[in-house]
Amino acid sequence: MSAQPLPTLAEAGRRIAAGELSPVALTEAALARATALQPKLDAFIEITAERARAAARRAEKEIAGGRRRGPLHGIPYGLKDIYDAAGLRTTAHSRLLLDNVATADAETTARLEAAGMILIGKLATHEFATGGPAFDLPFPPARNPWNPAHFTGGSSSGSGAAVAAGIVGLAMGSDTGGSIRLPAAYCGTVGLKPTYGRVSRRGVAPLCYSLDTTGPLTWTVEDAALAMQALAGYDPRDPGSADLPVPDYSAALRDGVKGLRIGYCRAFNDDGEVGQEQAAALGETAQLLAKSGAEVIEVQLPPNSQFQACARTISHSESFAIHAKDLQERPELYARVTRERLMLGAFISARQYVQAQRLRRILTRKVDALFERCDALLTAIIPGPAPVLAETDDGPWRRQQPLASVFNVTGHPAMALPCGLAANGLPLSAQFVGRAFDEATVLRAGHAYEQAAGWINKRPALAVL
Amino acid sequence: MSDDRNANSAGDFAAALRRNGLTIPEERYEIMRDAVARMQDLLKVLDEPLAYEDEPAVLPRYDLGAKR
Repeated sequence: MSAQPLPTLAEAGRRIAAGELSPVALTEAALARATALQPKLDAFIEITAERARAAARRAEKEIAGGRRRGPLHGIPYGLKDIYDAAGLRTTAHSRLLLDNVATADAETTARLEAAGMILIGKLATHEFATGGPAFDLPFPPARNPWNPAHFTGGSSSGSGAAVAAGIVGLAMGSDTGGSIRLPAAYCGTVGLKPTYGRVSRRGVAPLCYSLDTTGPLTWTVEDAALAMQALAGYDPRDPGSADLPVPDYSAALRDGVKGLRIGYCRAFNDDGEVGQEQAAALGETAQLLAKSGAEVIEVQLPPNSQFQACARTISHSESFAIHAKDLQERPELYARVTRERLMLGAFISARQYVQAQRLRRILTRKVDALFERCDALLTAIIPGPAPVLAETDDGPWRRQQPLASVFNVTGHPAMALPCGLAANGLPLSAQFVGRAFDEATVLRAGHAYEQAAGWINKRPALAVL
Repeated sequence: MSDDRNANSAGDFAAALRRNGLTIPEERYEIMRDAVARMQDLLKVLDEPLAYEDEPAVLPRYDLGAKR
């Protein structure tokens, strides 16, 4: 079975419920595939085979005994190695945390375990979910399954690689400035950054308290909905958690896009950041949504430079505050790129930080105003297909300003999903955005597009061993 | 945090490093100075005056944004 990608979460769940698929066999297949692809992809920091096998046996016994917990019971998943899982190391892909063994589960880990999912390993990340792909760390950077010479995107690099390669149907990522959506986009998967406050961050190594979000990478939007059902909800021990009701995400998928008004933000295409192939794919996405029954209107976001000023100021200031002591006392333990990017926070003033938080509120109001006219937005998330890994920007200041952090600044839910293939065979991606806490409409629009477009049927050739 | 008014000058760059207890290898010094200058250039938008009532953002957002 390791010669084939694992089934989606939805398909695996249906087959397990029907007695056609054994959690033990499914877990063995995931472990075999993870092990076989590790030399090519370096997706994992640790494969937790014995723990997974024990959990699979328990799941199989429970299900056989009529105690199936739900649609995710008995299905393997992976965690970006900034999530705590009791008894396992959380390294954050860093030399600084090589001996950091978690004593409790992150809230998200606990929720997936309670749903009966089976953890098969901890996944590669950019160091502390920042920096970039680095070769001066104890673990190598993950590789893109579509072409291992290319960048996965980050920082949830192993999560993107593991889902795209069909090793797991769900991998958890975190998103402070695009770190779920960028690897999803470059690796051709679905990646959902929920609204800030929708999914708990407790037990996940912080990068920037007021921008960090946690969320799923999956192969399909249907799977993202299943994962969100388990993950979303109030956590009184996360100070940023929102105490709001959680809707039925899978039910929303059935409604299609008819009756939705979607705001197409072509503006990003005009500021020189988005390449021709990606822009054309996004235009075709808008056309297909219209053909599927949505009303598509053009809208304009405020300039990306304003969002970037907010995102960079807030993110660099908070991450520097978190890492200042280690940067002072043992800077040599960080990768060079991580150290330099974290140090930028030392050059931001208190005045700039406060101004950024004030501008953030203004920008959020402006984006909220677009949702007076639209149910969802369609925007670019990447400028083009994944760059070559060896040519990835590793300087302290990124040459290109990312498009993704716009919705970290505003907090709105945003999802990347495939919208085409570039001439070099690498994925292109579109971003669907919704009102605050309205992940359901994001999933609804994304699912309708995904079904109409058919990109989910294209898997990387590497995934077929 | 530094005084950002002259953060691009050589003296203030060095002062910010000292104040924060940071060191940069010699071969990376100018690269970091250039990075800080580029960052401060992007952050110029934060110099625009704002109205008194424009308070900093607070999270999480219980207002749900636009009406449903």
